[in-house]
Amino acid sequence: MQIRRFLWQDLTWAFFLLVLAVGFGLVKQWGLVSLAFQGDLADHLAKMREQRREQQFQGVKTLNLAQAYELFQEGRTLFIDARKDEEYAELHIAAAVNLPLEKLKDKDNPALANIAKERRIVVYCGEANCDLALKVAEKLQAAGFTRVEAYLGGFRAWDEAGYPVDTSK
Amino acid sequence: MASGQWPVKTKVCLGLLPGPLAYEELFPKVELGVERKQSLSNRKPKTENRKPSTQKSEKGLNWLLLRGLGIVLGSLFFYAGLQKHYHAYEFAEAVLAYRLGPIWLAGVAAAVLPWVELTAGGLLIAGFKRRSSLLLLSLLIASFLVVMGVTMARGLKIDCGCGLFFQAQVGPLAILQDAVLLAWAGGLYWWELRAGAVASSQ
Repeated sequence: MQIRRFLWQDLTWAFFLLVLAVGFGLVKQWGLVSLAFQGDLADHLAKMREQRREQQFQGVKTLNLAQAYELFQEGRTLFIDARKDEEYAELHIAAAVNLPLEKLKDKDNPALANIAKERRIVVYCGEANCDLALKVAEKLQAAGFTRVEAYLGGFRAWDEAGYPVDTSK
Repeated sequence: MASGQWPVKTKVCLGLLPGPLAYEELFPKVELGVERKQSLSNRKPKTENRKPSTQKSEKGLNWLLLRGLGIVLGSLFFYAGLQKHYHAYEFAEAVLAYRLGPIWLAGVAAAVLPWVELTAGGLLIAGFKRRSSLLLLSLLIASFLVVMGVTMARGLKIDCGCGLFFQAQVGPLAILQDAVLLAWAGGLYWWELRAGAVASSQ
């Protein structure tokens, strides 16, 4: 009986604390909340992401979905999947090679030795908001590859567009 | 020595006298003086003298353990809340990636959730309304677990936005981390609730 009374008191206080936290959050992040209510949050986040990437990955050229698909259709570009092994194994862009960031730490990686330095390469990761493609592209440039680009739409956009995919399973 | 001259003790040992009689003879009742009786009745048993201090130290240890575990848990959530508050737009991006509900809800969640963590974590550290803070944290973690379960079932490979010191993807590891935190917060809450009920009944 005592425990039930305490539980009831605790729930009431927890609810009060929740209301307090919600109030603080709404006031302190009003800019974010008003953007969300106006429906501009997604665009604003995309702009912020773009600005950040421009500063962080200055030397890396980028592609959108249509440009990446055009290169895919030409059939001369090597697509590199920067996601983890298990994600790649599940589903990836047809004929793409898996090269996660961790594997690039090894400079004598046989996967890199087989690729010509002047070959055109497109790197991609899972989502539009992941930076893995840019990171891997930057590393490849540092390793001496001259025609590296990052496709920023991510595998999800590619898959949703219905473009060719493959599985290793 | 003739058997008639043997002292009583020896007779009893040899079985020449019956037990009850021998006991009476061996241990005759001694009438105690009034002062001795009083001193004996005033004397407390040794165990009674020892018990309160042992209980006290046990209670103190339990209290320290409870407070320590609460402070560590509170600090973890306070730190996580601070990180999310100062990087609110990055956190909003992580919330949006879950694709649960309308965009305005993701914005509100990104603004509010860090403050829930800050409030509950801060109060746990300060030691004020500990049980309610633990309850609030338990409910928060439980809802995270449900959301992550749904996301995993949908097959989304996204950043969970829940990594304390490094980024973590929605997956078994993130779920395990949250399950441990839930057990921690829930266990502490139950412990404090029972301790509070016992203390108030005494």
